[in-house]
Amino acid sequence: MLKVSNLNTYYGQSHVLRDVSVSVEKGEVVVLLGPNGHGKSTLLKSICGLVEKTKGQISYRNMDINGLTTEKIVNLGLIYIAENRELFPYLTVLENLKLGAYSKNARSHEKENLERVFELFPRLVERRKQFASTMSGGEARMLAVARGLMSNADFLCIDEPSLGLQPSLRYEIFSTIKQINQQGKTVFLVEQNIPQIAELADRIYAMEEGHITFEGNKDEALSDDRLKEIFLGM
Amino acid sequence: MFSEDTILLFYEITDVIIAGLSTGSVYALMAVGMTLVYGVTKAFNFAYGDFFNMGGYFAWILIFGIGFQFGGYLTVLVIVMPLMFAVGYGLEKLMVAPLRKRADWENKVMMLTLGLALFLSSLYMVVFGVRMKSLPPILEGTLEVGQLVFAYQDIMIFVMSLGGILLFGWMLNNTRIGMAVKAVAQNPVGAKIVGIPKERIFAATFAISTVMVGFGGILLSQKWFINPNSGGTIMVKAWVVTAFGGMGSIRGGLYAAFIIGMMEAFVGWLFGMSYGIIALFILLLATLALRPQGLMGKGD
Repeated sequence: MLKVSNLNTYYGQSHVLRDVSVSVEKGEVVVLLGPNGHGKSTLLKSICGLVEKTKGQISYRNMDINGLTTEKIVNLGLIYIAENRELFPYLTVLENLKLGAYSKNARSHEKENLERVFELFPRLVERRKQFASTMSGGEARMLAVARGLMSNADFLCIDEPSLGLQPSLRYEIFSTIKQINQQGKTVFLVEQNIPQIAELADRIYAMEEGHITFEGNKDEALSDDRLKEIFLGM
Repeated sequence: MFSEDTILLFYEITDVIIAGLSTGSVYALMAVGMTLVYGVTKAFNFAYGDFFNMGGYFAWILIFGIGFQFGGYLTVLVIVMPLMFAVGYGLEKLMVAPLRKRADWENKVMMLTLGLALFLSSLYMVVFGVRMKSLPPILEGTLEVGQLVFAYQDIMIFVMSLGGILLFGWMLNNTRIGMAVKAVAQNPVGAKIVGIPKERIFAATFAISTVMVGFGGILLSQKWFINPNSGGTIMVKAWVVTAFGGMGSIRGGLYAAFIIGMMEAFVGWLFGMSYGIIALFILLLATLALRPQGLMGKGD
């Protein structure tokens, strides 16, 4: 579904991603692990057109999307869900969600998607008239994911959804992501380390200093001692 | 019960208040437009006052140049408002948007719009001459309530600019583009992520503010005349209203506009019109000294 080959990304003078190649098949949950500041988020942002300078191929459903505007990429069904959430603080939860359905492709599905996200995140129903800025960290994270789903995307690029959450909330968000995946969405997820990886991931990549240093399925990841120690905390 | 002098004074004060309300409402319209551009794009438009005159001149061309009889000001508004939108949109795309990609673009936009202001006022002088133009009142006649006399013109100006502000507020809260404007103002990165075309929203915002100030120009030029060089003064007024109200606060701008409209009317009545601008600057200095973030600004 998504194929990235030989991608190089630059922030000004610094060369962040170096010849990165990854692929995600339809219906998979693929997890990209790696320490902080080694380019994981940059990869997701590059895919979603949020980075100025990228070289290499990014193809989505056999279509070259490198260089397209975010607006067009969102319209094709790819959405980025940011680690720092990037909500609209002085708009209500409901308004945030409706803005999630801004792209052309999402407008006609706004009503059904709203019902679906309220089913997935019942707490957002209670909070729907509250400003996004008044929500707790966990709720804001849910809102960010829900807003992403409102775009009617088939492919979700989720950036560190567990960041700053207590373990019980982490578990909740991961199980919701699994649920979203079971409803037919493809997920490309970035995390620093997640012990629950075995329940969630179909395949795993690891990234260090802008290179992909590991690629394999769940069993291979769990039998790789280095990966287990560094990233999975086992 | 009251002496004749007291009653006369009462009438005079009522007149002053009416004048303050009608100019105040137009200031409010202009301040909202200016605050909007600042709030969304963080850029300052120094040619703002010249767009005020542009609205006036467009109306003048339609009424006297072409000599529209049909529909009066309604026809004028129907033609001039889309025209102002197109001018605003085009200028943003052609001149402001390319600068946005560069470092220190805020200052560059200021310089550019300052140049545009000089260009426009010179253009007006070449095309329309240095003599002031006047526009006919939107509605002639007076409304008499007992001994009180209200000019329909003042009432219309008040009602129409208030209507403009309310329409704008409604658009901001109830339309897709309005919500997108708010989203870009609150979190440009978030807006980009959900697929809002930021560049187009910037241009639309600039265009909407051009429409608002142009509308103000059509309304107020009926009382003030259109002067090719007055763009600077109007710009200063809009700026003082915006700064006094609090940068980026629409509500603050509304309060400030009416306070300043009233202040000008009363200062003009007590000391003469030319003192209005002095009072304006005293107010600005006092604001900057005592409450730099303005009435309702959040401050940095």
